[in-house]
Amino acid sequence: MILRKFLSPTALVAVYFMSIAASANYSSPSKIEDFTLTDYNGNNHSLSDYKDLKAIVVIFIATECPISNDYNSRMEKIFKEYSQKEIAFLGINSNKAESVERIKEHAKENGLTFTILKDEKNIIADKFEASFTPEVYILNSDFNILYHGRIDNARKVSEVVTKDLENALDEILAGKEVTKKENKAFGCTIKRI
Amino acid sequence: MMIYFLKFYALVFCVILFNGIISNIFSQLKVETQIEVINISDLEKIINQNEDRALLINVWATWCLPCREEFPDLVKLAKVYDKNIRVVGISVDDYDDLESKGIPFLKQQNAEFENYLLKVVDPEDFINLLNKDWGGAIPATFIYDKNRKQKEILIGKQSYELFEKAIKKVID
Repeated sequence: MILRKFLSPTALVAVYFMSIAASANYSSPSKIEDFTLTDYNGNNHSLSDYKDLKAIVVIFIATECPISNDYNSRMEKIFKEYSQKEIAFLGINSNKAESVERIKEHAKENGLTFTILKDEKNIIADKFEASFTPEVYILNSDFNILYHGRIDNARKVSEVVTKDLENALDEILAGKEVTKKENKAFGCTIKRI
Repeated sequence: MMIYFLKFYALVFCVILFNGIISNIFSQLKVETQIEVINISDLEKIINQNEDRALLINVWATWCLPCREEFPDLVKLAKVYDKNIRVVGISVDDYDDLESKGIPFLKQQNAEFENYLLKVVDPEDFINLLNKDWGGAIPATFIYDKNRKQKEILIGKQSYELFEKAIKKVID
């Protein structure tokens, strides 16, 4: 009530919409700065290590999220297919409760052979404004974000209608602009510090 | 001998009657914890339904740990503020998990507020209907005033106090 005395109706409307946007904002920055993270074997990886490739796929994943786990075999399949087409593939685990040891164990158990990096203190998740797992970003060699969103439309393989990640990669490889740059799906919230 | 048979039949009758009463009670309990399967247009109707109460929509799934953790607070909130706010749970579990996971979870939680299971081909339409700024991370809670203007969005696990603080903004 005190606040109302100091704010005009227009300002109040603006504050209202800002508060809505601040609590749930599905967006991504247009560009990411280079960063370095360590994989579960202790090796450092920087985005700039992959800048000579045609694109970089970054996927925020988890060891304990059932949705992310339902995509394990699909992620591995996409990695195997597109790594042969000069696409880099980086998994990032930003969940505070999932240790490097558990990530390594989980990758072995599920046959994940692509690079998985540990994002301690979710610093990189914050830079991407990533909110759930599995959440995908495709970057070009300047680290501009070309695509942000889901792998496909359905948790169950039998219900997949649109292979969004693969469609975006195919367009990039064909030298075209990505038609659908952003889309959504249900996922587990990234557990931040 | 005759009295013995009469007693026996009376006992059998009582057992059958008791069994019927118990079955009826359990079947009623089952009805209370059924989840109706809905699509996007059904959800639109729920949101736009005129009534003299605010509306809280909570999106949850049995596979989502923070959803399960905050659920008891929603159950309590729905009871305490029943006259002021309509609480609606939308499960995004797989339809195949409804009987084995969804209904047992609601029974275990003693959830008496409305719960539905969403069945859609593409979740994006559902996500955008609730809020275009929401990416799909759950749990997610959307609070509307009596005029069905969305006033609050709560993403991630909430406490009872946070739920209460948010709904008080629309019911006070």
